[in-house]
Amino acid sequence: MKNRLPVATSHKKEYWLSRRDRDNTPEYQVLVRNEFVTEPPDARGIDRRSFLGIMGASMALAGLTSCRRPEDHIVPYVSRPEDITPGNSLHYATSMPLGTESEALLVETREGRPFKIMGNALASPIGNSASVWAHASILGLYDPDRSMHALRTGEASTVGAFADFWKIRREEFVKNAGEGLVLLTESFASPTLSRLLELFTTTFPKAMVVTHEAVSDRAILDGHALAFGTPLVADYDFGAVDVLLALDADVFGTERGAFEHARAFTRGRAVDEDAKRMNRFYLAESGLTQSAAMADHRLRVAASRIPAVLAALARELAANGVAVPGELLGKLPAPKDVDAAWISAVAKDLAAHRGRSLLVAGRGQHASVHAVVAALNHALGNTGATVRYVAPRHTRFADDAALPALMTALKESKVQMLLMLGGNPVFTMPADLEFRTALESAGSSVHCSLAVDETSSACTWHLPRRHYLESWGDVSFADGRLGVIQPLIAPLFDDGIADAQLLSLLCTGTLDKDGDIVRATWKALSDDAWRSLLHDGSRMEDIPPVAPAPNNAAVAAAVETKHFNQSAPSRGDMEVVFRLSPTVHDGRFANNAWLQEFPDPVTKLTWDNAALMSRATAEALGLKDGDLVRIKVGGRETPMPVWMMPGQAEYSITVLLGYGRRKAGRVGSGVGFNAYRIRGTKYPYVARGARVSPPFGTHALACVQDHHGLDTERMAREGVRERVPMLLREGTIEEYRKDPHFAEHIVHMPQLRSMWKEHEYGDNPQWGMSIDLNACIGCGACTIACQSENNIPVVGKEQVLNGREMHWIRIDRYYKGDEDEPGVRVMPVACHHCEMAPCEQVCPVAATTHDEEGLNVMTYNRCIGTRYCSNNCPYKVRRFNFLNYTGKLPEIMKSAQNPDVSVRFRGVMEKCTYCTQRIERGKIAAKLDGRALKDGDVQSACQQACPTQAISFGDILDRGSAVAKAKESPRNYALLGELNLRPRTTFLAKIRNPNPALEDKRPV
Amino acid sequence: MAQIFPKWTNSLPGKIALSGGILVILLVAGIWYYWSPWFTDVGYAPQQPVPYSHKLHVGELGLDCRYCHVGVEVSPVAMVPPTQTCMNCHTLIKPESEKLAPVRESWEKGTPLHWVRIHKVPDYAYFDHSAHLRAGVGCESCHGDIAAMEVVSLDKPLSMGWCLECHRNPDQHLRPQEAITVMGWQPPDDQPARAAAIKSSLKLNPPETCSGCHR
Repeated sequence: MKNRLPVATSHKKEYWLSRRDRDNTPEYQVLVRNEFVTEPPDARGIDRRSFLGIMGASMALAGLTSCRRPEDHIVPYVSRPEDITPGNSLHYATSMPLGTESEALLVETREGRPFKIMGNALASPIGNSASVWAHASILGLYDPDRSMHALRTGEASTVGAFADFWKIRREEFVKNAGEGLVLLTESFASPTLSRLLELFTTTFPKAMVVTHEAVSDRAILDGHALAFGTPLVADYDFGAVDVLLALDADVFGTERGAFEHARAFTRGRAVDEDAKRMNRFYLAESGLTQSAAMADHRLRVAASRIPAVLAALARELAANGVAVPGELLGKLPAPKDVDAAWISAVAKDLAAHRGRSLLVAGRGQHASVHAVVAALNHALGNTGATVRYVAPRHTRFADDAALPALMTALKESKVQMLLMLGGNPVFTMPADLEFRTALESAGSSVHCSLAVDETSSACTWHLPRRHYLESWGDVSFADGRLGVIQPLIAPLFDDGIADAQLLSLLCTGTLDKDGDIVRATWKALSDDAWRSLLHDGSRMEDIPPVAPAPNNAAVAAAVETKHFNQSAPSRGDMEVVFRLSPTVHDGRFANNAWLQEFPDPVTKLTWDNAALMSRATAEALGLKDGDLVRIKVGGRETPMPVWMMPGQAEYSITVLLGYGRRKAGRVGSGVGFNAYRIRGTKYPYVARGARVSPPFGTHALACVQDHHGLDTERMAREGVRERVPMLLREGTIEEYRKDPHFAEHIVHMPQLRSMWKEHEYGDNPQWGMSIDLNACIGCGACTIACQSENNIPVVGKEQVLNGREMHWIRIDRYYKGDEDEPGVRVMPVACHHCEMAPCEQVCPVAATTHDEEGLNVMTYNRCIGTRYCSNNCPYKVRRFNFLNYTGKLPEIMKSAQNPDVSVRFRGVMEKCTYCTQRIERGKIAAKLDGRALKDGDVQSACQQACPTQAISFGDILDRGSAVAKAKESPRNYALLGELNLRPRTTFLAKIRNPNPALEDKRPV
Repeated sequence: MAQIFPKWTNSLPGKIALSGGILVILLVAGIWYYWSPWFTDVGYAPQQPVPYSHKLHVGELGLDCRYCHVGVEVSPVAMVPPTQTCMNCHTLIKPESEKLAPVRESWEKGTPLHWVRIHKVPDYAYFDHSAHLRAGVGCESCHGDIAAMEVVSLDKPLSMGWCLECHRNPDQHLRPQEAITVMGWQPPDDQPARAAAIKSSLKLNPPETCSGCHR
């Protein structure tokens, strides 16, 4: 058996998933062949006697329960609410506030219970798409660890009791104008909260108001304040960009407006519509981010060296005839050891696309970098073309500069009362401030949060915060939209307070209804206008355009030569880069199991963060994957496991914030390692002078990328095998212009004939899907939307280590080429719904069959769990319920489940169904309307969630449908098409637009 | 030598074979019937919290099904009426009736009535009322002659095999839209032609594969 098929000898692959895959190590061969990593641990340790005991008991119970039909009750309404028809969904518009960024959402509810979140096309430039955070927030609503009542010095209390307490204290503070009163808020963008904050400062003029956010755009605002005199927000038009340079900016990942930018930018590379136009993306960064998957060229450079790259770029731009201000050039150094060829090529390209180019720097860079970027964008003629600046409205940004004053006041015991609205400052404050200790010097402290967290438990008062899905509020978007937050459900717990309610209580001393408070902000709107705002979700209000010219002298004055000419990190002077987690954010979503198990888009780690470093760095330090080390910065240290990442700058370590929570709840407590412990006020994003200790232990990291691998080597015999490995097909724009059908021509495909009987479909709609690899940014919104729509269970870290994660859509992340300078490619893979499905052929009980609409369907109740189907699936997209993952879910969490989809039990196989429940609903809805099904009636959850519309889905027989058109693209190809399984899901090949001046030198 | 077995034993093998055969047939027939939902489920008529009579309301007073089961034409579920629907009439008609005490109590206290479910398909089967009504399948096809029931009982087994019989050959159950809620409807003589017309005008294609009902 072992050697029946010839095994290819070890060879280096061009596209590789991990080092093990590239080098084809024996370890990886075992993994890919056996599909599952280990023996099931739960099968071990059960002896014959206990097995028989359990079986006997189960049989007896099964027998007893089947004796009598259980009595089931129907509980109708007493008085049915006007709009609700039991069994049918209603959708409501709302918004999810997330710091100063918000998302316009549409929430699906059934009988008053919200269960699915999507974007609101009426109010959002990204249509029905929404981020992973928004999709997963439905689970946050039903988090069983949310606090249900207030706490006063750890004892159960109520919000009402706090209101009584505050009424008395408020009188004192009104008398002394708020002396000794401190309000510490999260950042926000909300008309109501801004109005109330103004009321607060007029009521208590001497009170201190500070805003803290772990990760914010403060540096960008400060930079713009340097350049323009006022802190303006940049509003980019990525659709107009032909050449983009991102400096340490994860523009399509975690930076502000990433999804909107991604959608606009991918429109600029829709080559099938216009082969002449294709934008180009240069990325300079220290470690791979999600944006790297879109980059045409990437420069690997330490984050602390980004200013030097910028300085060199400014000189090159000037050399190419761009009017870079003289005073700036005079101040900027001429760094020597940067990649001159790369920078020169980029500068030439930018100079050739004046007014159609864009420079973006990441929020982790210093304010002066942002000032210089603004000046260079202006010099390139981009101001007003690809970037405009707007004055933020109703927005309270993080206020890092005010923190030292707060700490001084606290330490000198001048704070009688510290009021904290949201946030978790004990966890997220820079370590050097020692906020936790200082908090004890406050006379009394109040913290309002969703759950009892690190901060709450250190405070005199904890107030249970209402989730955004159960409270009123409003939000302000940078582009001029104002959105509304309306409750989707009555508060789940009796005790609780909404943000607007609390701030209003602090100002006025009365506990008003949050709906009334918000409506008061919008009193200028008539009732009709208010109702249409609630329906639409947002309204546009024109904001006066600002077209400022940068004050070059001020920008030049802000440039510190040393900062712009920093040396590369070295062994004794390493760099640590702090990044926002793309999954648990700054730690606020740590108790959300969907997000904890959601694989990081690049590292593919779940349930953990790690110290990401290059292989060379790790080897120089004598470290290997999973080694626990202590990272020391500025006299502080934190333990962290090592994970070697391709594409990482030497001696630069990336750590994700948000992990290592102590008091997050039953899911998030103790998961990962706390990077805030080494973060300082002076170096919030990029620290230098870091050191790494020798390893003192090991830590298992659950990386999913090597699971469910495609065993291409043993899939077929010679002749076919040579063609199989072309999994991910791509070409350059030049190749595409020469031969649009290049993707088909990559391999020669002989006439394929099937040995199986063909299906006869009749005139039913035939469902199919097309995924455009040229548009996919690998964000994973589809994965979480699918998890929410299809009740996909979470398995936990231990089971992920066993290779048992259940996500129906996995996003394969490939590296291309060299380990140090790799390209990154992403490819979402779910069930392909093959017409000649190999799974159907081996199921002994016909649990997986074909339906008349071309779906490969899974009948859970027939499945006996042989897993033959999974074994025979070449795409490795079938997921098996090894354990009863949903049985032990707390009752409240069951409310997050979709009532249209069966919850699967242990021992059952499952996989993508093309959202068959939505297909049935769509068909019935069309029937009830007395019309034929039309394109767009049925949208799969992943298609809806995709920010760049990379996924099209529909009836492939309908010539006018988006999916039929996509499949007619010359770039269309089938994954493993050589096997003649005729998958219904096909891909559109990726197109790159490399700069000819750089392509030979460093292909990406 | 004396015979070991008396003569009458000669017919024994035949008798054993015969009675064995009968036993097997009885067993099969017994299991066939007694283990089937036709025996186990049909006829299920639990006591309800309110002795509501469909025979009186539908059969004698002539209420249309959809007066109470409002959502049935637009929703997968037929919707058991809210207490309010009862009170629409019973604030004026028989407002003091003892039988209606639980309804009045529900209305006054705002606590819902707990009706006992009779028609039930498994959780993994997603039956849609609206689709069947739109296709012309009358209420009676699945629920029986409700208008004749003093106490509602399960009339059909609601088993998968029974569903599929109709999905494979729905002709006898396709009615004109105006007769959907009529009880005691008899197919006219030209029913095959009428069914064919309904099928072609509504493009009916009852699913027979798993995904039609299971998700």
